[in-house]
Amino acid sequence: MVANEPTIEQTIETDDIIVCRDVHKWFGDFHVLRGITTTIKKGEVVVVFGPSGSGKSTFIRTINRLEEHQRGDIFVDGIALTNDTRNIDAIRRDVGMVFQSFNLFPHLKVMTNITLAPMKVRKLPAKQAVAQAMELLERVGIPEQADKYPAELSGGQQQRVAIARALAMQPKIMLFDEPTSALDPEMIKEVLDAMRELATSGMTMIVVTHEMGFAKEVADRMMMFDDGVIVEEGSPEQIFEAPRSDRTKLFLSQIL
Amino acid sequence: MSANSVLSAPLILPPPRTETGMVGWMRANLFSSWHNSAMTVVATISLVLALWFGLGWILLEANWAVVPTLGGRIIIGQYNIEAACPGQNCFWRPQAALLLITALLGMAWAVAGGGVTKRIALVVGGAAAAFAFLPYGLDQMGLDVRLLLLANLPALAAGWALARYTRLGSASWIAILSVIAFILTLVLLRGIPGVPLLHPVAVIYWGGLMLNLLLAVAGIALSFPVGIVLALGRRSRLQVVKLLCIVFIETFRGVPLITLLFMSQVLVPLAFPENFPQNSLVRAAIVITLFSSAYMAENIRGGLQSLHPGQVEAARALGLPGWQTTLFISLPQAIRNVIPPIVGQFISLFKDTSLVYIIGMLDVVEISRAFIQGNPEYLANAKELFIFLALVFWVFTYGMSYVSRRVEQHLGVGER
Repeated sequence: MVANEPTIEQTIETDDIIVCRDVHKWFGDFHVLRGITTTIKKGEVVVVFGPSGSGKSTFIRTINRLEEHQRGDIFVDGIALTNDTRNIDAIRRDVGMVFQSFNLFPHLKVMTNITLAPMKVRKLPAKQAVAQAMELLERVGIPEQADKYPAELSGGQQQRVAIARALAMQPKIMLFDEPTSALDPEMIKEVLDAMRELATSGMTMIVVTHEMGFAKEVADRMMMFDDGVIVEEGSPEQIFEAPRSDRTKLFLSQIL
Repeated sequence: MSANSVLSAPLILPPPRTETGMVGWMRANLFSSWHNSAMTVVATISLVLALWFGLGWILLEANWAVVPTLGGRIIIGQYNIEAACPGQNCFWRPQAALLLITALLGMAWAVAGGGVTKRIALVVGGAAAAFAFLPYGLDQMGLDVRLLLLANLPALAAGWALARYTRLGSASWIAILSVIAFILTLVLLRGIPGVPLLHPVAVIYWGGLMLNLLLAVAGIALSFPVGIVLALGRRSRLQVVKLLCIVFIETFRGVPLITLLFMSQVLVPLAFPENFPQNSLVRAAIVITLFSSAYMAENIRGGLQSLHPGQVEAARALGLPGWQTTLFISLPQAIRNVIPPIVGQFISLFKDTSLVYIIGMLDVVEISRAFIQGNPEYLANAKELFIFLALVFWVFTYGMSYVSRRVEQHLGVGER
């Protein structure tokens, strides 16, 4: 080993917002992530795709510690993800997440769903939190639903509330875990539109999705996952026009 | 009408006549098949016979005089007998406590703005006032007793006005005032040595329905939070905490309440310093609380387990710390999901308070039994007395069940 070899922290450039080095994860004996190394820049929109069980959801869930990785290093906005709960809480405040099944809080109205975390965690005064929530609901196109319960909304509207809820914490990064797979076809567009708007506003996004039209149009980079490794990454043009890996070719031919 | 217009606008027809109205309903629900029809006929005949003979007995044969003979004992036991309260009538003290309750109900009515709270407040206040007009002699129920009963209506109104026109009109203030009122009730009933009107009354004289209600309220109010703590403890990642909670729950659930009450007389004194002021009432309340909280914990744990794991994940992903996730996300949903078993537990707790007869306390059932035993001339009327007691218990438990249904409906808004 060279004496002066820089530490990982020293190799991180200022516009690197997520850095993963050789990340491994096991569920019991099952080796889900088998050495993920990648760097995501500020403002980048990354689409992660691949067959089910390939570890793509697990990967984005390790970024905000909903899953714990067992080997390797993850840095989010310069903070190392370790067992230190203060670090985890700090990172979770900066990383918003949108789930496949929305996970809105059914016992709270849409407005409270959005204002709860800013008020309790960021200590935002109620008045400001409500004003911000209204702004966000307008941004995702459903300001008139503020006083309803989640169950009174359509799937597409619920997912847009979930996006607003995540944005209310003013995150630097947004993670999307198959945000449209639980939706009826006619509702997918309204959610993708909200995400497209977010991408153009400069948000750093990692999106697990099989909406290839969205990927082609919005993604800066695409990552193909298989068997817990990134088999190929590159720009949408390269992935769609000239995939290098046979696995990518086969997968794309099956879903397109 | 051309065939074309029929095709373009399908007719919206009213349902066939046999499907609607009284006849339709009966056909669908009472006579839908031959066995349903048979059941309907058999049930109707049984009901008519039961009513015929039951009502006949209740109105013509039964001698209900035994109930007013026992009179105030049913409500307060031996609280105001000469030995308990020498030289004065202490009936006013439990009555004053009742006034506190109606005043609080009045406040709750003003805050809730109607609905079930209003109905409960009016029923309790109205029933208390109506008792003032019972046709029993003034020797049995003095003018002071009657006036204090009537005072429940002004108390209700005063509570309502207090909540309406002062800053005390909020749910949190009512919760705080309820706790104060409960402590005040205990002080009022217990008395203060040296204060002329508040001659101390030993708890062995506390009895009747008052005793059942005191134990039930204390048991419910304490076992609910203790049960929540135990349920969370049993799901804790800290193995020692988890083990302690499991041992506690399984121990108290595994032993009959009657055994625990027996043991309390021997074991609870060991847990306190020798001169610590304690008595059989406190011991009974502790045992009932611990017993009930073990069941409560399992009910709430069931509710917590029914939650989708995505709820906690979403809260944690927003940066809410674990305790806030539990407080704002998990517990409210978990408790809402298990209101029926929780209320079932409360009802069962209320009925179980009768078991304190085993440690020598004269609750409403025991005092009735003792009365019949001590007055053999009423032996033949024991059934009237116990039917009356059954009705009293039913009124309270049905009230609890009614409130729980309304609360469920109220919280059901936005249910998935």
